[in-house]
Amino acid sequence: MRVLLQCTALALLGAGGVALAQRSYGLIARTAPDFTLHAVAGGNVRLSEHRGEVVVLSFWSSGCGTCRRQLDALNRSLATYRSAGLAVYGVGVDDVPARAAEYARGILVAFPMLLDPDKAVGRAYEVDNLPMTVLIDRSGTIRNVLRDFSAKSDDIYLEQLRVLLNE
Amino acid sequence: MPDALTSRECRAAPGGLRSAPAVALALVLLTAARLAAAAPPPAPAHAAPPPAATPAKPAGATAAAPSAGDAADTRGLDEQVQGLKKDVVDLNRDLFILEEELLFPANTQVAVFLAVDVGDFFGLDSVQLKIDNKEVINYLYTPREVDALLKGGVQRLYIGNLKVGQHELVAFFNGKGPRDRAYRRGASIKFEKGIGAKYLELKINDRQRKLQPEFEIRDWE
Repeated sequence: MRVLLQCTALALLGAGGVALAQRSYGLIARTAPDFTLHAVAGGNVRLSEHRGEVVVLSFWSSGCGTCRRQLDALNRSLATYRSAGLAVYGVGVDDVPARAAEYARGILVAFPMLLDPDKAVGRAYEVDNLPMTVLIDRSGTIRNVLRDFSAKSDDIYLEQLRVLLNE
Repeated sequence: MPDALTSRECRAAPGGLRSAPAVALALVLLTAARLAAAAPPPAPAHAAPPPAATPAKPAGATAAAPSAGDAADTRGLDEQVQGLKKDVVDLNRDLFILEEELLFPANTQVAVFLAVDVGDFFGLDSVQLKIDNKEVINYLYTPREVDALLKGGVQRLYIGNLKVGQHELVAFFNGKGPRDRAYRRGASIKFEKGIGAKYLELKINDRQRKLQPEFEIRDWE
């Protein structure tokens, strides 16, 4: 009985934690800050040119272990939903730009890997955890943020993504 | 309380240009309030009378009469909405012009434009502008913007304010040069800022004889 209670409490705490993570992000329901960044391969990317698409920004760093798994998961979702109007960008907020570029080249993903060496975009999006994923709807408004990566958060991400793509 | 208001107004007065967004906001609110006041009250059809008050009529007649009235009301409402939308667009345009005039008055205004001609020997990536040795903009170009420039578009790269007198503008062009190599070139101009607005143009040309790009800065007299 005690174990059951503990599990219930943990589950409630977990759910509360997810809700808290969503609530405490100050940019929800605000217009996504515009930016232009260099891509490791291909041309520069400006966010405002992608109005009308659902945009997913994933902030990563070469020193972050779970970022790689998350970028792979985002790549899978892009393969599935690209035709529905999904655009995904990885934004590297590494301290050393050369290391970030090397890391980005080593990851086989179909979306552009952007470099934010002076962390201006990271600051604008209030990145406080890596990996961090920001979901932006077709009108350019930030709708959801996920501050970690796990099987559960991937399910939440896909659920939220489908909602945005259906709008 | 009136004293406090007066002193606040006195403090705000010297920074007139800085308070331009506040002026613009006040204008928006004021105009919105006027529009709301000028707009006719909602159509009385929405405040439908209670069913008990309507006289007894045959069922077919009661169904047909309100539907015709509703259609006319909807049309009228639609026209009002369209009118309001037009007013908002006009107001937005006027505010944009007002904002430009307030933030960049003609006597201090300096604008820098960028144009690209042909572009076979240079793929534009970014332009960094320095005025009087101070960086004023570092602009990254996306492929779409480069395409627009190659089609003959002219971009207003920078607009700002400068005092009357001698100034120096330095532009650094970054991109890919001949044989797809990283390419960085600079160009500079010394110009005299007079009483009127100053317009400068950065132009990227192809020099066919040398198979190299050419960067020039022109003063629009």
